[in-house]
Amino acid sequence: MSGNYRKWPMVLFLGILTAPLILMYVYLFVDTVTNTPPGAVIPDEFTLEHWRFLKETLPGRPSIWLATWNTFLFATVTTLIVLAVSSAAGYSLSRLQLPARSFFLGGILVLHAFPTVTLLIAIFLILQMLGLYNTLIGVILVKISLELPFGIWIMKGFYDTVPWEIEMAGIQDGASRFQVWTMLVLPQVKPAILALGIISFLAGWSEFILPLVLAPGNDVQVLSVYLAALIADDNNFDMNLFKSVGLFYVLPVIVLFVFFQNKLMNIYSGGSKG
Amino acid sequence: MGNSRHLGLMLLAPAGIFVILFFLAPVVLTAVFGFTNMSTATGISGGAYVVSDSTMLALKERYGEQELAERLLRKSYVIDEAGLQAALEGGAARPTVEELREKYLGASFGSRREVERLLKKLYNRPAGIRQIKKIAAGFERSVVNVRYDTPEALLAAIEGYGITLTEAQKEALAEVSYTGWVFTAQNFKTMVELPDTWRTMANTLFYVFTTLILFNTGFALVLAIATHYMPDRPAGFFRSVWLLPRITPPVLYVLMWKWLAWDNGFLATILEPMGFAPRNWLLDTPANAWTFIILINGFVGASMGMLIFSSAIKAIPQPLFYASEVDGASRWQQIRHIILPQLRWPILFITSYQTLSLLTSFEYILLATNGGPGGATEVWALATYMKALNNYGGALQYGYGAAMSLVLVVIGVALSLVYLRMFNFKALTESPKIEQ
Repeated sequence: MSGNYRKWPMVLFLGILTAPLILMYVYLFVDTVTNTPPGAVIPDEFTLEHWRFLKETLPGRPSIWLATWNTFLFATVTTLIVLAVSSAAGYSLSRLQLPARSFFLGGILVLHAFPTVTLLIAIFLILQMLGLYNTLIGVILVKISLELPFGIWIMKGFYDTVPWEIEMAGIQDGASRFQVWTMLVLPQVKPAILALGIISFLAGWSEFILPLVLAPGNDVQVLSVYLAALIADDNNFDMNLFKSVGLFYVLPVIVLFVFFQNKLMNIYSGGSKG
Repeated sequence: MGNSRHLGLMLLAPAGIFVILFFLAPVVLTAVFGFTNMSTATGISGGAYVVSDSTMLALKERYGEQELAERLLRKSYVIDEAGLQAALEGGAARPTVEELREKYLGASFGSRREVERLLKKLYNRPAGIRQIKKIAAGFERSVVNVRYDTPEALLAAIEGYGITLTEAQKEALAEVSYTGWVFTAQNFKTMVELPDTWRTMANTLFYVFTTLILFNTGFALVLAIATHYMPDRPAGFFRSVWLLPRITPPVLYVLMWKWLAWDNGFLATILEPMGFAPRNWLLDTPANAWTFIILINGFVGASMGMLIFSSAIKAIPQPLFYASEVDGASRWQQIRHIILPQLRWPILFITSYQTLSLLTSFEYILLATNGGPGGATEVWALATYMKALNNYGGALQYGYGAAMSLVLVVIGVALSLVYLRMFNFKALTESPKIEQ
């Protein structure tokens, strides 16, 4: 921010541009608890009927709680494994002597930039051949593998900022490299682990294409596929119901966003994809 | 510290296994599958050799072997041990069977009537017409719809029924009767020949560059610069709001746009009093569909550039701005001569990365228009998905889809390598300081 210029024209200008976006999000909340008469934009009654999906299973869909559980399992397991695997690999790349180290580093960077969605067909066929099609395990394995290059790169970056002196002191006192890593260095990168954990969880929770293609069955359906199938079903068109399911689906994301907003801003500007 | 080399590899190994299995293998297999005709019809595991109506049609059409095709589809009757055994078990008299074996073993006939005639002429003819029919039916041999694992097994079965084939016929038959997938370069020929391909490519280029210029860099710049000229609180508010589309799961985000655009949605409702007939603004004309596709993707894309550009602007030393104001610079002059020159690298970075992600992502288009109206908004990545994975019509062309993906994979690998060079790679790979 700077100088002697007037501020309000800028605020007004951006306010007008932002209005449609705000409008859409306001109506997302409002429409879930109200009814609006046809031809009007202002709701005229309060109701909770759009939230009935929490109690009764909607026709042709699995139970919302099963879908929620699947989504939770998918996002959590993915996150935990990504954290474990990439904090190990990141440390190895940052601090340990490796044969062909620069090859690995270059490889991770290339994979990080590589658009993974192009691999969908091959992954689909591989899971079919392995018998992992339409299982949560299959789609979790795939999601982990595609997230890893990003995770490893982030963790490597954070390890790089840990002072060498800590490790040298540890070695001096007779600790092995492994002990130095687990007992001295890992506590130093806790913020990185938290940040990567949030990102992975959000990515898992929002993931749509992978479960849609690799695990569309009712038993293993996640919320994104559930909601998309609900919207695509022409027989039961009910915008307010869709929005309620959507709001239910997005609640954990909103909570994480509110609590960790600044952290997220920093990481998203750190070169993730879009 | 001699074991740290092993420790390094051990810590890297789990990541390696994941990445090799579900990242590198798919890259390689996309290339392999791209050169096959794999589809729902061929299945994905190996096939079998089958004589059927459809494979025989191929034999007629591709090799002109009309007669052979009809001959193979016809049932034939062979006097063989299996048939004789069946006759015995079915209650035929032993002398009848013995006579048949002696006189006719190995003989084959084109129709059941011939076999029946033969049976009637026997010295030990079976008693009764029903018995004759039953015995004759036991000699019926057909290759139709029987699955053979190898072409040799199929050919042996055919020859066993007294049909002899020339070498050329054998080869033709082995080829047309195979139901599994085969390696072929046909996908790429088809791709070049189909007019759809070129339309899809034009759509893709239009989509990528319009979104990129208008939103991912253009509007992102507007957001970054506008929030720069604001007090911290409103600036933070606007940045958070513009981050929402990126944080919102795609299914829900597109649902909100649908609410805005559908037939009795928000736009239709507020525009009706102004004389616009209610319509689905998302799908009524290609122009409107494109407008929404670009807005939907652009709103998501802008946040990334906004964050990167904002932090680059923050890094500009404040005195530069104060000095320019003392010299009487207008806001526009500040933007033109101070801010934009500092943003050269961030803009290059955003442009290159977002080109690749726009080129390959199709999630939002799939959810919003599904390529409609009438294929007007079908981009390359979406077409790939439609061909190979969208089981709406039921016939999935894995091979052709993989071939189309391969184009994107090649572009992806090439651009990723270029970006790697653009980074200061040497600094990133500085070697460890403990081991010497």
